[in-house]
Amino acid sequence: MSGLALIVDHEACWGCMACEVACKKENRVEPGLKFIRVSDQAVHLRHGKPYFSYQVDACRHSECAGTPCVAVCPTDAISVRADGVVVMDMDDCVACDLCPPACPYDAIVFNARLGVTQKCNMCHGRIDAGLIPACADNICLAHCIYFGDPAQIRESIEAKRRVRDRC
Amino acid sequence: MIDFVYSNAEREMATFGFDAVTRSHCRMCHGGCGTLVYTKNGKVAKIAGDPECPIAHGTLCSKGLASAELAYHPDRLTHPVKRIGPKGSGKWQQISWDEALDLIAEKMLGYKERFGAESVVFGYGTGRENEAAIYRMANLFGTPNGLTAGHLCYGPRISTGIITCGSNPVVDYENDPQCVMVWGNNLVIANSDEYKGESLSNCLDKGAKLIVVDPRLTRLAARADIWLQLRPGTDAALALGMLGVIIDEELYDKEFVAEFVHGWEPFVARVRGYPLDRVAAITGLAGDDIAAAARLFATAKPAGIQWGVAIEQQINCADNNRLLMALMGITGNIDKPGGQVLFRTPRIRNVGKFGAHDMLSQEQEAKRLGGERFRLAGNFGIINPKCVWDAIVSEQPYPVKMLFFISSNPIMTRANAAAVVEALNRVEFMAVADFFITPTAELADVVLPAATWLEMDYIGDFWKRHGYILPRRKVVQIGECRSDHDMLNDLAHRIGQGEFWWDDFEQGLDYILEPMGITWQQFKQMHYVRGEVEYEKHKQRGFSTPTRKFELYSTRLEKWGYDPLPSYREPTESPISTPELFKDYPYILVTGARSPGFFHTENFQVGALRETQPDPLLEIHPETAAKHGIADGQWVVIESPRGKVRQRAKLFGGILPGVVGAQHAWWYPEMKESGHGWAESNINVLTEDAYESCDPAMGANSVRTLLCKIYRDPDQRSPGEREKTR
Repeated sequence: MSGLALIVDHEACWGCMACEVACKKENRVEPGLKFIRVSDQAVHLRHGKPYFSYQVDACRHSECAGTPCVAVCPTDAISVRADGVVVMDMDDCVACDLCPPACPYDAIVFNARLGVTQKCNMCHGRIDAGLIPACADNICLAHCIYFGDPAQIRESIEAKRRVRDRC
Repeated sequence: MIDFVYSNAEREMATFGFDAVTRSHCRMCHGGCGTLVYTKNGKVAKIAGDPECPIAHGTLCSKGLASAELAYHPDRLTHPVKRIGPKGSGKWQQISWDEALDLIAEKMLGYKERFGAESVVFGYGTGRENEAAIYRMANLFGTPNGLTAGHLCYGPRISTGIITCGSNPVVDYENDPQCVMVWGNNLVIANSDEYKGESLSNCLDKGAKLIVVDPRLTRLAARADIWLQLRPGTDAALALGMLGVIIDEELYDKEFVAEFVHGWEPFVARVRGYPLDRVAAITGLAGDDIAAAARLFATAKPAGIQWGVAIEQQINCADNNRLLMALMGITGNIDKPGGQVLFRTPRIRNVGKFGAHDMLSQEQEAKRLGGERFRLAGNFGIINPKCVWDAIVSEQPYPVKMLFFISSNPIMTRANAAAVVEALNRVEFMAVADFFITPTAELADVVLPAATWLEMDYIGDFWKRHGYILPRRKVVQIGECRSDHDMLNDLAHRIGQGEFWWDDFEQGLDYILEPMGITWQQFKQMHYVRGEVEYEKHKQRGFSTPTRKFELYSTRLEKWGYDPLPSYREPTESPISTPELFKDYPYILVTGARSPGFFHTENFQVGALRETQPDPLLEIHPETAAKHGIADGQWVVIESPRGKVRQRAKLFGGILPGVVGAQHAWWYPEMKESGHGWAESNINVLTEDAYESCDPAMGANSVRTLLCKIYRDPDQRSPGEREKTR
């Protein structure tokens, strides 16, 4: 199986939140809800200097160890596709509220209007049409949201880190 | 496996059944990024970046992505209205464009006849690529009074750039600077001028060194090799200190200095007045760190300074700019590939020409408000706002009877908001063109519905200094909205300026492009045009200054009666200059922090953007917050000698304990009464506009270096909740 992943190089993120808005527009996400979320980390010392960075959270799909949301879902509303995309099917959700607390990334939200839980489905409709997920489709000024083969992505991120840190 | 390609327009069209895709150019800030706009059933359905755009390469910020939400917002003004109740009553009547423009024309001509053309003041806020058209109308009408943000934003860079070296030096990101010194700027968040954040980000990804000068720990500062967290307002002292190190250690470009610099000896003598220990004491920085930054910047070749508005909103505005140019100049980075380049615009009628500045008579030019007081500004057509407010209220030196603001919300953005409100309440007639009924528009007599970038044809980046122009192509028509240029073109015919304008504004675009031998229709077929890039032009022709040299010693400023050499002035309100006041107002307040989703006063009603940050944030060091019993997220009162406002505490270890960092321009479109809460969080309720606190040459207000006190607001309700119980 050729796995597809959506991986963020958090170190490269500038915190501009364009990915949040791209996602909301593409997926018509309910006001107040986010499938991808940028947050800043508290200032701390690194190598003796004040430092902070951003963290971008969305469903990690098959990169998530054990995909606990899949395990707890009583109706099979959440499933893992052959390409590794973890899809939540709203039609099968019974709003049991088991998956949000199971998610280690706080990436599953409850849509009160529709009475269902929702999350990033990696724009699977776009993927099936040969399009890159909205947040990863070249909008990011840091070019830090990657889509594709996870091993290749990790290699790219590591190569970029080496140049950035000049090592 | 499918071949995934970025920005795949063809597949996007096929998948979602869009009717068309138009290549255009965003202007949710002041332009820059190429876009692909997809439409379906006559409406904008999706916006993405244009991968072929030379500025942003297909990347697009949150504002650009949310443009359609602004354009189709239910509160959007889509037809002209006139006020039928008292100012601020919110009572409006829909009128036709003819009635609106005839009324404005009648008022303009009437005031001109009774009080002179100078009694009519045109204004815009941050440049929205309408500047040249607005100046054109003002100049042809005969008023020397264009009230812009130019006194404290970009105007200083342009005017000091011209008097120092003939233009505004821009970092040449496309040729890989080896070191970038980001000075009071957050390019990756704030969508500054010329290049956008992507170019800086790419250059850092390639390993360029980074120096950041900022009182706040931005993400850029966190990633920097050297971060200089200076005391706010002491930039000029820091630059003088760095120049001293570069001179003492002979790290400067001796050939450039010998051949191309005017005033080297007196400049060096001035710099010697700022030895490192003195600079360290003024700025609060360690001398070693200043020296290390100076050495890194001076020895990396090529290197550039990413500068912006922060250094301009201070009493040292003009000298800050000149000192940063001195750093660029003496290190030999001016007009070098990957350095700081004086790019050429393409062969078009440029903003100066189109702005018809040469059509204003000398007699009228001499009447420019504040022109005698702020002579650098005055010579570049820029005025200080207080001069206008005073002329309205006290009718000195002559009465101002009419204001016409286009894309400007001065109640929120100009210093000393109370004085602005008083003037706007007093002025006899005010017209405003905007997207919404803003707090400023609430006080207007007529409000015109302005087009967004999705609704206009224009030459994008016309006024910028990176040398590119890009077609902005009209995609949709919404209501009766018209572009600023189009409405001015129409108005021009009604005030007898017809001969200088056009039957249709498209011919105005043809007029701009004519020297290149192309029309708008031809330009529309192109991706972009760039002026010829040529480096080190001074080796052939010198610099475009009176001495043909790079003027560290400014002959123009000397002629206008100013110190020709740069120096450091202590902010008029600071722990050092006002120690008594400091006892009651013990924190330095900076007001420049930007949020990515907003552009000054814009987008607070755009849901997808407001969700990125629902409330204004005040950065407070955790130790300071603890001292006042303030917890993260609580509403805090910020008070200065002028007034008080409230923002929510963000406990942030990246700011000095003695400094707090507020955000500007916040209003609450969701509050339907009380002027949309203009006074609730508006930082300009706290700023001051006394002439003595302004840069003496440029008239820039000190809106980022004031004193304040803070305390937890006993009323912890949000502005919306407070309104409900009023």
